[in-house]
Amino acid sequence: MNRELLKSFTQWLGDGPRTVGQVRISRAAENWELRHVDDSGDLTTHTRWQDARALANLTDEGAFRPIKTTRDLRRGWRLMLASIEDVVRALDYFYPAMLGLWNADMRGELVVTDLRETLARQTGMYRVTQKITDAQAQQLCASHCSLCMKTMLWKIDSTQPITSLVDEKHERATGYSLPLLCREACNFLIGHARGVVKKAEKEAQEAASSQASS
Amino acid sequence: MLSKPDSALIIVGHGSTLNPDSSAPTFDHAEEIIRRGIFGEVHCAFWKEEPSFRQVLHCVEREDVYVVPNFISEGYFTRTVIPRELGLDGPLTRFGSRTVKYCEPVGSHGKMTDLLLHRARSVAPGVPPEKTTLFIVGHGTNLNDNSALAAKREVERIAALGLYAEVQSSYMEEAPLISDWATLAAQPNVVVVPFFIADGLHSYEDIPVLLGIASESPGAASAGQASVFAGNPYSLRGKTLFYASSIGTEPGFADVILDQVSAFDSTAR
Repeated sequence: MNRELLKSFTQWLGDGPRTVGQVRISRAAENWELRHVDDSGDLTTHTRWQDARALANLTDEGAFRPIKTTRDLRRGWRLMLASIEDVVRALDYFYPAMLGLWNADMRGELVVTDLRETLARQTGMYRVTQKITDAQAQQLCASHCSLCMKTMLWKIDSTQPITSLVDEKHERATGYSLPLLCREACNFLIGHARGVVKKAEKEAQEAASSQASS
Repeated sequence: MLSKPDSALIIVGHGSTLNPDSSAPTFDHAEEIIRRGIFGEVHCAFWKEEPSFRQVLHCVEREDVYVVPNFISEGYFTRTVIPRELGLDGPLTRFGSRTVKYCEPVGSHGKMTDLLLHRARSVAPGVPPEKTTLFIVGHGTNLNDNSALAAKREVERIAALGLYAEVQSSYMEEAPLISDWATLAAQPNVVVVPFFIADGLHSYEDIPVLLGIASESPGAASAGQASVFAGNPYSLRGKTLFYASSIGTEPGFADVILDQVSAFDSTAR
């Protein structure tokens, strides 16, 4: 385990309660209790950090959650863990990489990559995403990133911030909530960017062929 | 026994935006390696899920880092995507005081042959291999993907052992097609092992449909249905058919990951 992260997280957690995304962490006698922030009362108890994987994978409706920072963590469970090490491991399933990026950010080591740099790196079927316009990129962020709880740190490029999202989307959580940080456009978004470009190209081709035939 | 308390291990996989089956074996193998307490840190990273290739190095503390691709073959992902996303410039990359050691993918390891044989025996216990045709099934026609070559290599290795009456490679999308299994196989018993890193749409749905043991289904919505394996053996087209889950779900893959770390160290010496 990352010992620096464990030390920082232990300090931040204190005696609890704290929240990471939609997970509330609090003391329960000798254990740590993790549960959905909106849950109370009769919950199904789990006791292994490994159980967090299955809890994080599906929504209440059974849909797969490829991005774990969407606001649809399932309800109705309680995860009782004996050590902070196990809490960190469980949180790595609930919110993959988020503790690591938070720790790197606190140490001043987090590198942020803007969208144009991310797209310029793409090869194969995703190379076409380099054609996305700034306006399309803004719209893409508005429709997809708004569903995600992460704080967006990157821009379109060094001079163009993402302006299609509310200001809070760019502000780190503070206090009892651990900030969930987005240091670069995720591959989920890149996949959607490909769809946007392909759709625009198809529409342009159809418009051109329609014009030619008229 | 391998002991690397001052090193980190990153197991990298493909992952999926459609279902949890693709990343499941990678997480399983990581949990097993964590349980053994061999490395100071163990992380997973994925192309299509999180932690992503681009996030994972931010999560690592140790300065000595091994990266093992949980991929079936060398190809576009192991040669292009993973090095590019992790910023690697070869088998050994230095970032300041950190050294990242890029190991061979698990599918290239010699133990793969034993794991395939183990999987074939497990799915058809007591079935005489001398009266059995064994199929190793790959995808075929993937972009810059050598999985078909890897499947052929394993077939040659297993055939050389002389255990099975017949050993053949076949594919979903190129000849010899697995859909022709009944005519390709000369033996009364047929064992089919998918040469994939994870169970998912290919092993749960596509191959069963091609074999004729399942009907077309709605696709991603039914992923995760492992019931196709419970139907073994299938009596079909005058033969007895045994269908195994993907080779990458073998628990022995954890040892192969560790072996690839040891192999890197041996080569570097």
